[in-house]
Amino acid sequence: MKDEAIYRRLFRTALLIRLVEERIIELYPSDKIQSPVHLSIGQEAVAVGVCDGLQPDDLVFATYRSHGFYIAKGGSLDAMFAELYGRKGGVSGGKAGSMHLAAPEVGLMGSSAVVASTIPHAVGAALSFKRRGASQIAVAVFGDGATEEGVYHESLNFAALMKVPVLFLCEDNGLAVHSHRPVRQSYRLAEHAASFGIASRRLEEGWDMLAIRQATLEAAARVRAGEPFVLEIVTSRYKEHVGVGEDFHFNYRSSDSVDAWKRRDPLIVDQKLAAALRPDIEREIEAAVAFAEASPAPGHAELLTDVI
Amino acid sequence: MSIAAVKPAQGTRVLSYAGALLETMDAALADHANVFIMGQGVDDFKGIFGSTTGLAEKYGAARVFDVPLMEEGMTGVAIGASLVGDYPITTHIRADFSFLAMNQIINLASKYRYMFGGLMRCPMLIRIVVGRSWGQGAQHSQSPQATFAHYPGLTVIMPSSSQAILDMYPAIINRHPGPVISIEHRLLYNLDFTVAPSEKRVPLTSYVARKGSDVTVVATSVMVLEALRAAQYVEDQTGISAEVIDLNSISHPDWNLVTASVARTGRLVVADTSWLEYGVAAEVCRQLVMRDPGLLRQPPTMLGMAPAPCPTAKSLEDIYYPSQHETVDAILTQVKGDKHGIALPVERSMTEGYKRFRGPF
Repeated sequence: MKDEAIYRRLFRTALLIRLVEERIIELYPSDKIQSPVHLSIGQEAVAVGVCDGLQPDDLVFATYRSHGFYIAKGGSLDAMFAELYGRKGGVSGGKAGSMHLAAPEVGLMGSSAVVASTIPHAVGAALSFKRRGASQIAVAVFGDGATEEGVYHESLNFAALMKVPVLFLCEDNGLAVHSHRPVRQSYRLAEHAASFGIASRRLEEGWDMLAIRQATLEAAARVRAGEPFVLEIVTSRYKEHVGVGEDFHFNYRSSDSVDAWKRRDPLIVDQKLAAALRPDIEREIEAAVAFAEASPAPGHAELLTDVI
Repeated sequence: MSIAAVKPAQGTRVLSYAGALLETMDAALADHANVFIMGQGVDDFKGIFGSTTGLAEKYGAARVFDVPLMEEGMTGVAIGASLVGDYPITTHIRADFSFLAMNQIINLASKYRYMFGGLMRCPMLIRIVVGRSWGQGAQHSQSPQATFAHYPGLTVIMPSSSQAILDMYPAIINRHPGPVISIEHRLLYNLDFTVAPSEKRVPLTSYVARKGSDVTVVATSVMVLEALRAAQYVEDQTGISAEVIDLNSISHPDWNLVTASVARTGRLVVADTSWLEYGVAAEVCRQLVMRDPGLLRQPPTMLGMAPAPCPTAKSLEDIYYPSQHETVDAILTQVKGDKHGIALPVERSMTEGYKRFRGPF
């Protein structure tokens, strides 16, 4: 019964993320959102399960594909849509857009469009937590492609040496834009982490929000005790790398694996719960869209503020 | 060798550049619990050329610590720590190594406040050291002030004296809202300067290092010292009065100060530590021309590194950098024309004037 309540809570947030992004897909042809969008449809369970397994004051450092983490961490929906619209009411007054969502008041410490670049930020925040004896942990969110970047290796090495409370969270969708892992990686993530003395876990069931939540709770407990940890969660990106369409017709990947994933996706499978929650969520989204529509555009008064 | 723009007066003392750095690092750690220093070798027996020596022992390994060879990672760690309220000071014993941190400096630190609409700030101090002489070669000699100052969001300074460090560092550390890159010069580290109590100085701007009326010399870093020595020589030999302006704050100079000086003298020499192309020299000209294209009576003279990577051989290095006699010649040519006929100083190599600096680094 307790699990049922948790499931319902996680499901609602995941559905909110999906419906938000489906609304973005509807809005996109209108050019009201004039910036690249990297949709997390198919990957919602990771953001939802992980954020629910964290303490509210734990910090998340994220990527350009972070609508899900922004919502799961508790960011304002009004401010998100206004940000995507490039309006003054946006969380960053329109200067950030989809790729740079942040909500430090709820612990989302910024999203970067340069792959792997926020990983060391999580390590740095964790270093500060350790220095001041705080019980918080920092979470570095990145895709499997990011582990190929040099700074990932630097970050693991430093985190292991300094024994800082950082959780390295790999969202493994198997793709770097259009490149598959076999042409990109000569290593296995767990073995690589182990070479730094960092424990890891790979969770194949990336559609299972409760399993992700539980894995995060367990990993976070180890991290909070002062040990970095790598949590790898297999997931599936349904849409194209950037933009609102699908990309199977380009033949760089088949739809089979995504179809198999969809057959397990609770947001698709559990139609009854989705239908029950949908009207309320849609009202919430429409209110946020209306907020964005009504918010004024920034101009000369804002162009040169907050530079230094 | 002691270089002092003014005679020692009441309340002044003599302090080396490295000594000034050590004092300001020590004071930062003492005054601000959230300050920490990290960099390759900050806690070793050389202590970044004496600028951090003994601080790890005094403040502990949690506040002054060595790092792996990870320039990008270290800078990212600094950003993360800064985002949650700490004030990191990072070091690169050669500016060239900071290029490995360019992603974090340019793509992240410089943009975090603006890109998030003011939600984020990552104030920090990045100390980088420019090498020159004793065969530094192509990758131990670069002086990237123009590179960094090009990017909005970064504050770039080039302290040319112990006084500049005492004036600026306490005003920056834990006080300046954004990331600051301080480009220190290795040739200055072992020089003694006369310093005065620093309350009166306005930090992070440009200032007149030497008053004059015949020609304006705008200089950066060690070239400020070269300009001061040249100005003194020229005055002793000819009575020509050169005004020397230390640009000091490269990203945010006092252009009104520069313009007012050139408006008086009508003659300009720019002496920079880097290449002229798309650099400080070019920016000085842009600023002047945009204000009044008629300010100069004649084309200015530009001193900087030759347009090639830095060679290692001493014979090449000596002609690669502007020497003291070229600096003197530039000032004389501006005032008297290139047929000035006045004897130039015999010193060919600048490093002969900085004999206390010897290798290996």
